[in-house]
Amino acid sequence: MASDTPGRMVTLGADAPDGGGPSPELYRRIEGRLSYPTDLLDIPGLLQGAILRSEYAHARLLRVDASRARDMPGVHAVVTADDVPGLNRFGIVVRDQPVFCEDRVRYEGDAIAAVAVDTRAQARAALAAVEVAYEPLSLVTDPMTAEQQVPLHEGGNLLAQETFHRGDPEQAFAACAVVVEHDYRTPRQMHAFMETEGGIAIPDDAGGVHFRVGCQSGHRDAEQLADILALAPGQVTVEAMATGGAFGGKDELTVQPAAGILALKTGCPVMIHLDRFESCRAGMKRHPVTARMTTGCDADGRLLAHRVEAVLDTGAYASLGPAVLENFLDHASAPLYRIGAYAVSGRLVYTNNGVCGAFRGFGGNQATFAVESQLDALARELGLCPRELRRINLRSVDEPGSRHQPVRWTAPPVQVLRKAQASSLWSPETVPRGRWLTGTGMAMGAQGNGLGDGLPDAGGGRISLSREGRVRVEFGFSDYGQNIGEAITHSVCAVLGCQGSDVEVMLGHSRGPDSGPTSASRSSVLVHGVLAGMLPRWMEAVRCQAAELTGYPGDDLAHGPGGVFHQGRQVLSYRELAEHGRREAMVADARQDFPVAPGQDHPVGRYLQLQIATVARVMVDRLTGRVRVTDLHHITAAGRVIYPPGYLGQIEGAAVMGLGMTLTEDMPAEEGRLRRDNLDQYLIPTFHDAPTQRVDVLDGTPEDDPFPVRGVGELGIEAVAPAITAAIEAATGVRIRTLPVDPGVLLTAIHVRETAS
Amino acid sequence: MQPDVTVQPEVAGRGGVRVLRPESPREAVTMARRFGGTYVAGASWLQPVWERRQSWPSCLVALDPGWPGFRGIDQDEGGLTIGALTTLDELASHPLVHDHLPGLGTLLDQVAGPGVRRLGTVGGNLCAGGDLSALFLALDARLHLVGHHDPKGESLVVWDAADPGVDLIQSVTLPDARPWRIAVDKLGHRERFSPTRATVACVHDGERVRLAVCGEGGPGRLSISEAALNDGHSLSGADRIQILDTELEFRGWQDPTLRLAIQRMVDYLLAEVGHGV
Repeated sequence: MASDTPGRMVTLGADAPDGGGPSPELYRRIEGRLSYPTDLLDIPGLLQGAILRSEYAHARLLRVDASRARDMPGVHAVVTADDVPGLNRFGIVVRDQPVFCEDRVRYEGDAIAAVAVDTRAQARAALAAVEVAYEPLSLVTDPMTAEQQVPLHEGGNLLAQETFHRGDPEQAFAACAVVVEHDYRTPRQMHAFMETEGGIAIPDDAGGVHFRVGCQSGHRDAEQLADILALAPGQVTVEAMATGGAFGGKDELTVQPAAGILALKTGCPVMIHLDRFESCRAGMKRHPVTARMTTGCDADGRLLAHRVEAVLDTGAYASLGPAVLENFLDHASAPLYRIGAYAVSGRLVYTNNGVCGAFRGFGGNQATFAVESQLDALARELGLCPRELRRINLRSVDEPGSRHQPVRWTAPPVQVLRKAQASSLWSPETVPRGRWLTGTGMAMGAQGNGLGDGLPDAGGGRISLSREGRVRVEFGFSDYGQNIGEAITHSVCAVLGCQGSDVEVMLGHSRGPDSGPTSASRSSVLVHGVLAGMLPRWMEAVRCQAAELTGYPGDDLAHGPGGVFHQGRQVLSYRELAEHGRREAMVADARQDFPVAPGQDHPVGRYLQLQIATVARVMVDRLTGRVRVTDLHHITAAGRVIYPPGYLGQIEGAAVMGLGMTLTEDMPAEEGRLRRDNLDQYLIPTFHDAPTQRVDVLDGTPEDDPFPVRGVGELGIEAVAPAITAAIEAATGVRIRTLPVDPGVLLTAIHVRETAS
Repeated sequence: MQPDVTVQPEVAGRGGVRVLRPESPREAVTMARRFGGTYVAGASWLQPVWERRQSWPSCLVALDPGWPGFRGIDQDEGGLTIGALTTLDELASHPLVHDHLPGLGTLLDQVAGPGVRRLGTVGGNLCAGGDLSALFLALDARLHLVGHHDPKGESLVVWDAADPGVDLIQSVTLPDARPWRIAVDKLGHRERFSPTRATVACVHDGERVRLAVCGEGGPGRLSISEAALNDGHSLSGADRIQILDTELEFRGWQDPTLRLAIQRMVDYLLAEVGHGV
């Protein structure tokens, strides 16, 4: 565990000499040369699948008549709810979403039928020929009143509610010298991956189905699909192929159920690939959150009391909503700071506003936006520097977490703060910017790794020697551009002393080792732990084989570039070992439970914690209220860096995603209809919107730390929004608490301030 | 203008679209009239519209940039004449444009992305009420139209982009604006590749100021505000602001915060062109 002494600090660059440059695969991805499952158009007998979506956000289904569609040219099959062989439901936490709706639709992306045809043009015609009679029902669109509206599911519209308590908040508020209370709103953000949801279902000769898809958990998807298709678990295989981005949006099943049913029905491979319009309409989104936060401190700035009341709109179905709520509340309890007493509560409600689920940050960044804004508000009331208020209240590495659970940091939070205070972005602007007002702000955030709260969380891997003589490393994780393959390769090379070309990483096959989902920033932790468990045994097995073949004592042999060495000279290449050795003897696997605090029968929260402080510099156009983020400086404390370009990409990429959520991205719903249907309306940041970024790594983990590597997939988004809004306040005097920042609202507030002065 | 023959105006799939390739501009006009066809050049604006609606015109009339006068930029004593099928990136990089309208390159850099600017044309941008509209309106651009009968000229100010009929824009002539002071500013949702929220152009021709806008409220010359600026010597600054606000609202700019932004942009641009308010 980190001590309170300063840790090592480095600034990452994309071409860091010790970590190598970006991988060749990255360039293939950027240049559009990387094949995704939806590029597999030359599979013999491939049919095109398409899904009929509901025209209404909430309606009773009176009739679905596919008879005319079945007679259309090129149509091989039309399937509806009647054709689902097994369970007509899916969902990671709660199986409440129908594959095809039976008697009711609950959002305008709900699936009613699907067709398998020869061409996409025929698909459109066939879908248009499916006759559907609806009886519109009253809509549930306002999450604040959803519980009083017509129930969308048995049991009502309150899907989950939870409260975290500590101490007596009311008593603590009474003792506060300053109390601030504000309302916060965050948007329904879309993942906007490069490759929209898609994949192929291929029937096999034994009645099973092989899926080649973009997804995040092959094993878990295979389980759900077996239930839907009424197949034995072994009859469903999921191959998570290289995927053009996921960010949580492919954690839930997407096209797989419909494609699988069509494949079984037709006996042919079926591809379904949502176009951008359909992806916008039917795809998963980030939960919009409405929260009221009340926070108080004493006259010296010590936090005493904190209250949160939040409502999260999960849309029509649960997906991972309950877990998002838990993570939101965890972050809303201000895990970086000591607070005497709090009551943090949240309600997760069903509405007809699309469907929400996993998204990078997983509810945590929405909470951090509000918590960090509250700290700034308190500092302003006290006349205290916001950094000083944080310093007063930051936890030390020896203290438990906000839920009184043991936590493990990689550096002292106060050190992270000090580095942020030293950022060059605080230097005042020396060049006048004319119409542009400039300001710098910062925020901090904490992020836990793993599924948390004692949920079953384990993963395994396997290492072997391929027939061609390459070191084959298998994990169940999916590659969707997060560089996990490169990180694994680097870790293996560091131990074996070999070259990247000696290693072959195979990911995401449900017949391979089950590593659990590629989510919750858990992959890097498990990769490190599992490799540490299996690499020594595999190396020993290889040395034994090499000893048998060469006659040298096994203890005198060592691994090195391309093979096995004796006294500095290669005596066997891996290829020779594969050809002449017993490959079955050179296999090792390992499995590891995700680390939890020692002695915890019922773990609370997350044990492995990461931190980030983001310093933002912005320019605000005083004429129009538009905001440019010019610089982001991140100080991260997330353990050891095993692949610098990957670490950098995760932090910078997540930060730009957070910038989008802060400034432009929202998928508003009106009367249950999502109002943006393509990327010309739903505006993600472009290269010109992306700021200059600097990523520093502060690492205080000792050499013998058992968990020196942490997952950083979500860390970069954690503190971006409150850092930007703090910078906007520094520039204009206006604090924004509703995201994305509305330039009109900002401009009006600037105008009012100018007029008043 | 009604088409001569009845054709199905729209089809549900791209495959059902018939592309007509006329030999001449006059034939293009005839085809558009006869078949109800839509003119198409770069189609960078039209394509997303069609895809969104999942409905394509049954008939497209493809315009040929090789037709005389339809592509390229020339100057004469009347000013600068720009072929309607000149692409936006050609416009941005042309030496004559740098000479006549040095600020235009900066504006065009904010229009869409490089790929779209290679396809998108000046005529298409004007038809869509795009970013060029405000500047060209403020410059009193004149359109050279090919109609069913005779070529004709029309001021961009009176030409109705929302109802262009079958007249075809051959070129646009801008007056020689080199002695003038010109300022343009675009407000989008993001730095690049954003729909125009408001683009404001301000031109001072040495005697009078001209103002024009385009964006969410549509393209238009702000002639009442111009008159207030040029002739309303007894008006206060607050009066002028009120006039501008009212004119914008009347023209369809319903968002009061956007009108506020335009007011402030106008103030700033007026100062840039040296007109004190």
